[in-house]
Amino acid sequence: MVAILEHRSLRDFDWLLALLATVIVCFGAWEIHNAQPTETYWQKQLIGLGIAIVAMLAIAFTDYRRLVELAPALYIFGLVLLVIVLIPGIGMKVHGQRCWIKLPGLGQFQPSEFVKIPVVLMLAKYFGKHRQGNLTWKEVLIGAGILGLPLALIMLEPDTGQCLTYLPLLAIVLFLSSIRMWLVVSVLLFAIIAAPASYVIGVKTGLLHGYKLERVNVILDPENADKRGFGYHTWQSMITVGEGGLTGTRASSEYSQSRLKFLPEPHTDFIFAVVAETTGFLGGVLLLASYALLLLRLVTDARRSRDRTGMLVIMAIVGGLIFQIFINVGMALGFLPVIGVPLPLMSAGLSSVLATFIAIGFAISVQLRRFVN
Amino acid sequence: MKYADQSQNVGMRLRMVQALVLLLLALLAVRLYVLQVINGPHYAEIAENQRVRLLPIPAPRGAIFDRNGRQLVDSRPIYSVILSREDTKNKNLNDLIKPLSDALMIDDDILRERFDQIKSQAAFESITIKEGATLDDIAWVDAHQLEYPELRIEQLPQRRYPENGFLAHALGYVGEISPEQLEQQQYKGKGLKPGDVIGQDGLEKAYDDYLRGKDGYRRVIVDSGGHIQREVDRVEPQAGQDLITTIDIDLQAAAEDQLAKSPQGRGVIIAMDPNNGEIFALASYPTFDPNLFSQRLASKEGRAEYAKLLADPKKPLINRAIQGRFPPGSTWKPLMATAGLQQGAITIDHSNLVCGGGITVGNKFTRCMGGNHGSPDVHFAIMKSCDGYFYRLGLKMKLEGIQQMVEEFDLNKRTGIDLPHEVISTTPSRELKAKLYPSDAEWKDIDTVYSSFGQGQDVLTPIALLRAHSAISMDGKMYVPHLMKEFKAIGGVGEPGTRDYREPRPAKTFEHPEPKILGIPKDQNELVIKGMWSVVNGAGTGAGIRMADFEIAGKTGTAQVVSLGKDVGANKDHSWFVSYAPAFKPEISCVALIENAGLGSRFGAPSVRAVYDVYYEKTRGHSTPPTQIAMRFR
Repeated sequence: MVAILEHRSLRDFDWLLALLATVIVCFGAWEIHNAQPTETYWQKQLIGLGIAIVAMLAIAFTDYRRLVELAPALYIFGLVLLVIVLIPGIGMKVHGQRCWIKLPGLGQFQPSEFVKIPVVLMLAKYFGKHRQGNLTWKEVLIGAGILGLPLALIMLEPDTGQCLTYLPLLAIVLFLSSIRMWLVVSVLLFAIIAAPASYVIGVKTGLLHGYKLERVNVILDPENADKRGFGYHTWQSMITVGEGGLTGTRASSEYSQSRLKFLPEPHTDFIFAVVAETTGFLGGVLLLASYALLLLRLVTDARRSRDRTGMLVIMAIVGGLIFQIFINVGMALGFLPVIGVPLPLMSAGLSSVLATFIAIGFAISVQLRRFVN
Repeated sequence: MKYADQSQNVGMRLRMVQALVLLLLALLAVRLYVLQVINGPHYAEIAENQRVRLLPIPAPRGAIFDRNGRQLVDSRPIYSVILSREDTKNKNLNDLIKPLSDALMIDDDILRERFDQIKSQAAFESITIKEGATLDDIAWVDAHQLEYPELRIEQLPQRRYPENGFLAHALGYVGEISPEQLEQQQYKGKGLKPGDVIGQDGLEKAYDDYLRGKDGYRRVIVDSGGHIQREVDRVEPQAGQDLITTIDIDLQAAAEDQLAKSPQGRGVIIAMDPNNGEIFALASYPTFDPNLFSQRLASKEGRAEYAKLLADPKKPLINRAIQGRFPPGSTWKPLMATAGLQQGAITIDHSNLVCGGGITVGNKFTRCMGGNHGSPDVHFAIMKSCDGYFYRLGLKMKLEGIQQMVEEFDLNKRTGIDLPHEVISTTPSRELKAKLYPSDAEWKDIDTVYSSFGQGQDVLTPIALLRAHSAISMDGKMYVPHLMKEFKAIGGVGEPGTRDYREPRPAKTFEHPEPKILGIPKDQNELVIKGMWSVVNGAGTGAGIRMADFEIAGKTGTAQVVSLGKDVGANKDHSWFVSYAPAFKPEISCVALIENAGLGSRFGAPSVRAVYDVYYEKTRGHSTPPTQIAMRFR
């Protein structure tokens, strides 16, 4: 098999995808350095990149169909990990959440980042069967069940932000598996109407009060919210972004918002604010364009996939990525609430980079085998 | 798309997802554009404001000197250990008490109290842990920056006053501006802010605008915890102007020494130059330590000390010279004599009135304390302090005549001395009588009798009395007493023309208001002065303090404070002596009031003499020649 791969792999390997992802991580490492120059996060990120590239290549050169076959086993293994992380002593508690497993000598990892992969494979396996017509209710429920099991476990950690990132995986798979369009449209309409309506009703009835109301008000009007309390993160992130201007801040980087510790979590959750501050609107747009290019490339790969399973694997990845990007950047730009979702490929964190590269490895694997042999 | 099925529209759905991806990213780009390009300058300003902080550099206040350039008050830099609140948000302050009290040697209770205060303060304010930190303290804070990042050292000028409350009432004291003061008209528009130190009493308050410097500031970059990263800019403070007072330290010391030794430790001595109103000495006893207000008021002990001062029945915080009101007793008589001559109740040639050992008004006999003087003239009446004479003079002048005298000598007004909180003397009037004695509201002759020898409703501030007598000594020229002699010029600070330039402040000398001219005929005035001269140099009540080469003119006074028979111990009569010297060409006037001591001749006069002794030695170059007469006259 190696011999077969060698010829074709070099020609058909999606260099653009791999290179783009690598460049974004390198750019991210530089910004992590800008945010926390005295810490070693940026070095760890580059080491993580090395590991991630190896993992990506290993997945890329493995036939995704074999891995999809293994999906149930991987899925169960993932669920086991999510149970293990809940056991005190093994699972580490950080900020009240038990979502890290400590590996002696290796550091720590976050199972919920990786379990997305078996979930995607499981969904692709189930919905990848050759079939016709719209989805039945039974199929939708089974899909929800595949997603629901790990979600329930993650909610026990509890990690709401991470849970949210699982939802688009199912949504996109259902959508592309031809769920009835009227259903899609009605869900969207309901969301559009229900969100503001629930706010108004919540305030009127007094059900929405205290810190929950504050959280919402922060997003609606950050300038007048409690800038020292609930609104602090949002407000400081907006200041940091705004200060960047068109071409990046002219103030000495020594006195940037992150160096002076005004911007919280600058190397992880608010890395986009650091990008916006150091490189300005031009840099920020360039990063968004890079994401656009990466995602469009993935969609193209999905289109070219030779079977439904491969297409669903890639598109689920696309769904997960765009959702995380939108939530994270939206939070940094102050129009979405603060939820601890990392920016893919940019935020410091081995688990996130590794999981994203494994996902990209699947996409490359799918497109390497786009011709029926 | 080999698996594509027309019925499922997968191709179209993929394009929809693709469009959604681009739409979401475009949305982010638009928002980014709004924040960075449209509102960028707004946020840049906010970012700048939160990282740049102006830290004031307090300007030292001007020093205060005596008339000969000897220093009375200065400001010296002290170091304080400050606790910054922003770093203690997640710390339990109580855990800090033990290590800090051990290392900096502060009492546990004081720390606990200050930490309690913190809780009611705004979150960004810092709190002083220890004032007057030693070099060891500073070294300790430096060495423990990692452990206690919330601590820092700040340098502040601190006002230092003379020891033992010397001149305290005249100097006054400084203190932090209060929230109420910040709202007051007199402090508005002067750029004052909470925590600024201003003059709160005495000269410190009266001349605050001159003494107070202009604070400088440091523009620094801070991190979110308020830690200073770098200094960007520095504007040096401009010190306040130095004040040269009219006080003479030696005379002041002599005066305070006399009061400290007085029977009750209570009293007033004021010495001034009758030629222009310059105050040489202004002593009020008991005194207090102004350093309490400038240095210790923040501490628990300091506040206890303050509470004790406020509760002290001897009222040490009162400046008796301008806020104390006392019946003048016989020191009232030369004023009566002057007015009597002016008003024609007596004349130079025919000034004899009957003493009679007293007077019967209605069915009440009021005796003359000196016995029966027969039918003395005004000279003799002053010399011997004949009460009977002045009872009858008062009755001749009537209340209206006495009131005219009060008006003439400004006894119903403030003297205008340049100290805050001067009170107005109480002087006789029908209205006051009616108010004080509603059951006996009518003004009667007996009231006129009391008012004519410095009792009854005659209740004067020592400064007003001294000013009136000084006017007699000056042929009727009455000056406004003052303590300010000169403010020294101070140079500009910074680059002229720039925003932060501090203009030089020019020197300023006291602007004398025109003296009040009483228009006393010279011969009449001379007669009164001669009477007062005889008090000391003739067979008068003050003969005990006669000086061989320095002719004192004066008048004793023994003012009754309780009814006869109860006047023992702390209720004894007030002992007065008011004087000027040399009698016919005065250089100095001096009043002493020794509270509840007894006869004026026995306590007031010798106290004044002690001041004159020092004055004589200073101006004549040798000490007072000995006199044959016993120092204490009974």
